[in-house]
Amino acid sequence: MIVARILQGDPEAFGLIIRRYEAGLLRYATRMLGSSDAAADAVAEALVRAYRHLAACRDPERLKSWLYRIVGNRCRSHLARRSSSDVSLDDAPPLADPGDHEADTERADQLARVERALGTLSSEKREAFLLKHVEGLSYEEMAAATGERIPTLKMRVHRARAALLAILKEES
Amino acid sequence: MTLGRLAALWLVATAPLAGQEARARLAGRVPSVALSALDSIVAEAGDEGIPTEPLIQKALEGGAKGALAERIVAVVGASASQLRRARALLRLTSESQPAGPAEVTAVAAALSRGVSPQLVESLTVALPGEPTGPALHAVADLVGHGFTEDVSVDLMVDAARQGFRGLRLLDVAAAAVLELQRGESRAMALARVHDMLPNVPPPPRPAPATVSKARRLAPPSQRP
Amino acid sequence: MMRVDPLVHRVLDGELPPEVLTPAQRVELERLERAATLLAQVPARSVAHRVMAEVRRPVPSLGQRFARWFAERHTITITIRPAWSLAVAAVLAAIALFLGRGPAPVLGSEEGIAQFVGRFPGANSVEVVGSFTDWRPGAVVLRDDDHDGIWRAVVVLPVGQHEYMFVVDGERWVTDPLAGRYVDDGFGRQNALLIVRPVPR
Repeated sequence: MIVARILQGDPEAFGLIIRRYEAGLLRYATRMLGSSDAAADAVAEALVRAYRHLAACRDPERLKSWLYRIVGNRCRSHLARRSSSDVSLDDAPPLADPGDHEADTERADQLARVERALGTLSSEKREAFLLKHVEGLSYEEMAAATGERIPTLKMRVHRARAALLAILKEES
Repeated sequence: MTLGRLAALWLVATAPLAGQEARARLAGRVPSVALSALDSIVAEAGDEGIPTEPLIQKALEGGAKGALAERIVAVVGASASQLRRARALLRLTSESQPAGPAEVTAVAAALSRGVSPQLVESLTVALPGEPTGPALHAVADLVGHGFTEDVSVDLMVDAARQGFRGLRLLDVAAAAVLELQRGESRAMALARVHDMLPNVPPPPRPAPATVSKARRLAPPSQRP
Repeated sequence: MMRVDPLVHRVLDGELPPEVLTPAQRVELERLERAATLLAQVPARSVAHRVMAEVRRPVPSLGQRFARWFAERHTITITIRPAWSLAVAAVLAAIALFLGRGPAPVLGSEEGIAQFVGRFPGANSVEVVGSFTDWRPGAVVLRDDDHDGIWRAVVVLPVGQHEYMFVVDGERWVTDPLAGRYVDDGFGRQNALLIVRPVPR
């Protein structure tokens, strides 16, 4: 319904879409790129593009996967311009946890370990793990967002889990 | 047995073959310490149905150019990612029929030339049912000479509307580049080619004397 | 690489309830779920202002963009040196591959012709090494029969895209300066990209 409103000439309604999806898209892009500044640029550009091409989102029910697709494309272009697709997440500032106003050293250490482990995955496996387990997309939504077949995505998610577990086990 | 299951079985059956073929072709041509990692990359690509020949070629190239093992592995890995991106883009934008390996390879090459994923999507939507490779290379040719993506796509769409298909789109781009080389501004070069359509000439044929000198390459087994 | 039990995968994929897992498998499950929970923190940042500023800006129509192109000056001055005219013609021939009207090799429907031309005065040997030679030297050797420093070869190649470089004197890799299309090779150099077209019938 929001999409229909926007297409009928109510651009301010796009603010509702931003409010609903921005946090997840920024989180996803930050984890993919390892930089919150680069993520903000990627998501802002993607959302502007989404607004300009909203008519191309043929099924408003799939708006979420469509938005993740556009952001994913931006992230992949950005990563392709780097010499290696390995991401160092050392530069990424810790993401704020609004529920915890005091420093939580142990939690911060655990997050740093997980981020390091995530950074060692190839960009395809990292993307698959993030979309499945952090962004909560179904395999069908992931297929619509990436263009990959569900069996391929399952294989990548399974390999990502195995790789992450191996690293986390080693470190603990 | 469904077609999908047959295809999956075929992929599973050929994946180990892709790995074996890679090892056989790369042994002695790349540093031996790189063989195992390259094998994995090719096998994983084969599992996912990504064309593996461009990966083997990239490894052979690295070996020929004397690159270090780590560099070869990194570059082949990056090539695999680029092929995956190309295939995903084609799948997202062209639901009618799956893209073949040649089309995936052509789109990957265009992405490597700096063509944006957005442009791939725009062209696929604008030229439905057409192999995207030639149009992308035509746009990349124009962008390489300073035309923007937008006007380059507009020219391709205009040419397609007037009956240009496939590799003939390269001639349209070449015509615009030739106008530029004759000293025209980009705006005038584009205007001239728009006006010329559909009468953009094919490139000049080589002289018969030149063609008669054409030699075939020896089959790989007989090459030095 | 560590192997994860298929049951753990199926639980994580929502196909089975967690109760089917052994205690050791549950530990793995919880480790992965914990990792995902840690990664799920939401960034304290917003791009809403930036995006809505763009959304509210009117977008020029296609006609207005085209008109803007005409109005802008994009002059470019190229000096065509006489020696280049041969090379430009040769490059166009290398890009567009057609059978000549006179006698010619019999080509299959998936074959075309590529002409390689390079100016290397003083070179002892020039060859083309590329994807069509499996990146082996020695398969395409150019000739400079009249010793004017311009080396040539004409070869039959399969239709499609190919990458190549010149190798001068057996050791110096040189990008074909007249190819017109290039792609980074990933090893610090640029390959020429050649698109071979089928012979018209």
